[in-house]
Amino acid sequence: MAEVKNKEARIGVFVCHCGTNIAGTIDIEAVKEYAKTIPNVVVADNYAYMCSTPGQNKIADAIKEHNLTGVVVAACTPRLHEPTFRNATAAGGLNPFRFEMANIRDQNSWVHMHQPVEATEKAKDAVRIAVAKASLLEDLVPKSVPVEKTAMVVGGGVGGMQAALDLADAGIKTYLVEKSPTIGGRMSQLDKTFPTLDCSQCILTPKMVDVYRNENIELLTYTEVEAVEGYIGNFDVTLRKKARGVLTPKEAEARGIVGGGCTGCGDCANVCPVIKPNPFELGMAPRKAIYIYHPQVSPLIYTVDFDACVKCGLCVEACGEKKAVDLEAKDEFITVKVGTAILALGYDIFPIEKKFEFGYKNFDNVITSLEFERLICASGPTGGHLVRPSDGETPKRIAFVLCAGSRDNTDTGKPYCSRFCCMYSLKHAHQIIEKIPGAVPYIFYMDIRSFGKMYEEFYYRIQNEGAKFIRGRVANITEDPVTKNLHVNAEDTLLGRPVDLEVDMVVLAAAIQPSAETEKTRRLFGVSCSQDGWLLEAHPKLNPCGTTTAGVYLAGACQGPKDIPDTVAQAEGAASAASIPIHKGEVELEPYFAQCIEEKCAGCGMCVYQCPYQALSLVEKNGRTVMQVTEAKCKGCGTCGGFCPGGAIWMQHFASPQIIAQIDAFLLGGEQ
Amino acid sequence: MAVKKDYMDQKLAEKLRDRKYYAPDSNPEFLKEVEKIGQTPAHMCYQCGTCTGSCPSAPRSSYRIRLFMRKAVLGLEEEALTDPDLWLCTTCYSCTDRCPRDLAPTDTIMAMRNLAFRRDIVPRNFLQTVQLIYKSGHGVPNNDANRAARKRLGLDEEPETTHKYPEYLPGIQKILDHYRLKENADRILAEGE
Ligand SMILES: Cc1cc2nc3c(=O)[nH]c(=O)nc-3n(C[C@H](O)[C@H](O)[C@H](O)COP(=O)(O)OP(=O)(O)OC[C@H]3O[C@@H](n4cnc5c(N)ncnc54)[C@H](O)[C@@H]3O)c2cc1C
Ligand code: SF4
Ligand code: SF4
Ligand code: SF4
Ligand code: SF4
Repeated sequence: MAEVKNKEARIGVFVCHCGTNIAGTIDIEAVKEYAKTIPNVVVADNYAYMCSTPGQNKIADAIKEHNLTGVVVAACTPRLHEPTFRNATAAGGLNPFRFEMANIRDQNSWVHMHQPVEATEKAKDAVRIAVAKASLLEDLVPKSVPVEKTAMVVGGGVGGMQAALDLADAGIKTYLVEKSPTIGGRMSQLDKTFPTLDCSQCILTPKMVDVYRNENIELLTYTEVEAVEGYIGNFDVTLRKKARGVLTPKEAEARGIVGGGCTGCGDCANVCPVIKPNPFELGMAPRKAIYIYHPQVSPLIYTVDFDACVKCGLCVEACGEKKAVDLEAKDEFITVKVGTAILALGYDIFPIEKKFEFGYKNFDNVITSLEFERLICASGPTGGHLVRPSDGETPKRIAFVLCAGSRDNTDTGKPYCSRFCCMYSLKHAHQIIEKIPGAVPYIFYMDIRSFGKMYEEFYYRIQNEGAKFIRGRVANITEDPVTKNLHVNAEDTLLGRPVDLEVDMVVLAAAIQPSAETEKTRRLFGVSCSQDGWLLEAHPKLNPCGTTTAGVYLAGACQGPKDIPDTVAQAEGAASAASIPIHKGEVELEPYFAQCIEEKCAGCGMCVYQCPYQALSLVEKNGRTVMQVTEAKCKGCGTCGGFCPGGAIWMQHFASPQIIAQIDAFLLGGEQ
Repeated sequence: MAVKKDYMDQKLAEKLRDRKYYAPDSNPEFLKEVEKIGQTPAHMCYQCGTCTGSCPSAPRSSYRIRLFMRKAVLGLEEEALTDPDLWLCTTCYSCTDRCPRDLAPTDTIMAMRNLAFRRDIVPRNFLQTVQLIYKSGHGVPNNDANRAARKRLGLDEEPETTHKYPEYLPGIQKILDHYRLKENADRILAEGE
């Protein structure tokens, strides 16, 4: 613990102007003069930008000149500049943990912009409180822990695949965990992709094959994360490999079946008597109880749906000598150690039937955009012929309803913009013009958000091709019970006229939401989410791939709606971030650990159960039972420290005497 | 402020009137007052048109609820309160049901009607309705056709209202008197004669 004892505290206070950010509201000179009157303060100074090189030099020089034991900077926030000022403190020859910050910008000048007098008083309080703590700070040494040279990516959509490929290419062994039987995610359900209109499968399949072949990637499909323990560098992840009922050639070999295992021939599915809807085709095509989603799956291994299987054994017979089908298969659990992890959990479609006014699931010819993708796709359930579900006829007049459930502040809807529906609806308009002679797309929109590279040009192109744009949000849709045609009611807000448009089909660009298991998985990894359920990045601008849990990163739509270019870009960023600790080989942990004061510890062990991170245990020492902290596991949350009835737990950097001194300083106005 | 040009011909003058929006046309207090009375943040309207698209009055008239929302936002008090369309809302609340910004356009309209009434701007039929309520407790009193229909359906001829219990009518009159609704209706109607 402490090396230099605080015999006599000598504190330096440095007040930052932050240009006019702080100085525009707070009287810097007054705060500085006040600081000089606070006990233990031996020097006070100010500067336009404390974070600049001259500002930092002021700190280092003052430490040497005044033989300081602690430094207080009154400026922005620790989140932004704690590392900066710690470095400056270290440059002056002090232990960097002897630095304390007073937040007088984000929590003061920015919020009290119109109350300069009160703001200045508040800044004085903040400085006095920080000095009280700085006077009691101790030298601390961060702990280094080695980093396991493996990584994990959870979610095998285009984001997860890209992240895994990058990590693998950087020489890192990577586990790619996907809950469904194949990788590919939503992108494999798409027909073409905006704005270039390349065929989605054509650009995705080679990547899927690369993932499957890459020697550094261990692909674990039909697998879910069950438990996560540990911390950056040393995560122990328990995985549930769901019973697939079909052996891969490797698994067959391990069982001594020579030349056996699934070859993807499909003989089993041909004989299987059980028919279920195929979720990949959104229920618009059948599959058997033993199935693959589509011909391009990776890995090409069949899966038994044990909820549907009647165990007739026909598939076992059909499979023959390959002996791939194992109807007695059970879930298996494995635990792997990884240094870092990336979550790429993707998204689901908002259940748009909840917005009754659009009539989805009530009117046959109202479909979602994802259903449209399957219907217009040559490998889809209709061979690429867009047909009306009610009568199989080809629709000619098609309405596209944008912002269906997005940008919606009612309880049934999502307040955010789903970000790619404008663009894919333009794409859909193009597709029907291209495929159906005489077809007219009517696009009901509020704003066309075509912000990406070549996106506005794409909008121009589709308008030029003949798509009709009606600026108004759809109010409701009704059905003609005889023709099953639909009436779309809205206001053309540019004309200021109500519109009643009769169409053959309506396509709802439904909002998206976090995928079903996101909540469970994020909790296992200790990752926060924002109000709307999307996973929370460490900083929206400066750390968009990281999370508040060290060693866990985010890629793709799970962090917020993202199209493919943005998903892939973030995936590459996340892969790069996740590889840094692995390449460094070790990580420094903030030394905010709990410490046991063994003389005071009664060995009651109650704290052991309080700790949310399993960092505490009881050990025998010199014939006594005392608590011991596994420092690398401790996150410094303070639960145990606040709890211990004997006051035997010392929270480094947030010790009780330090906190009490801060409270005293606030309440007593400095005259301790 | 709008630039005035004089044409000899009055019709031509009206046709070629300056229609630009100038900042002084707007009274910011109007929005505040409308929001205070209507208890809905009209300034959050993003002009999507869902309200007009839902409105049963819109296809039958020039009434556009969305435009009234816009006028509230811009503080166009004069234009909003003197527009006879203000009185074409049926208070069906379809717009309130569907507004994606979770606003209550109906209540914005009601607030504007209140403000218009303060300035004696009310259509005669509304005032006559006030008189009818004062007299019978009903905006649309029972009539013989209704009574016959009720009888056919096995109902009492008179509904469970002041029609059946005229002793409650003074209570209703007290409320209308308290707000000086009847008095004002009578006055405005008389002035208009
Ligand atoms: C109708 C429609 C059309 C579109 N058209 C285009 C287009 O033309 N161009 C374009 O750029 N974008 C388009 N998009 C957007 C595109 O689908 C997304 O950008 C892309 O799929 C995001 O990839 P992802 O990897 O983040 O998520 P996803 O594709 O959703 O993949 C997530 C993967 O993670 C798996 N998973 C989820 N949770 C777990 C868990 N807990 N454990 C294990 N695995 C899990 C899922 O099974 C899935 O395989 C379209 C979207 C829609 C709805
Ligand atoms: S055993 Fe199950 S999966 Fe195999 S054929 Fe019979 S029903 Fe289908
Ligand atoms: S992308 Fe377009 S359609 Fe989708 S929510 Fe945003 S504005 Fe609406
Ligand atoms: S529905 Fe709501 S947000 Fe849309 S125009 Fe009407 S009042 Fe404004
Ligand atoms: S409440 Fe009024 S404005 Fe709203 S939809 Fe009904 S009639 Fe139209």
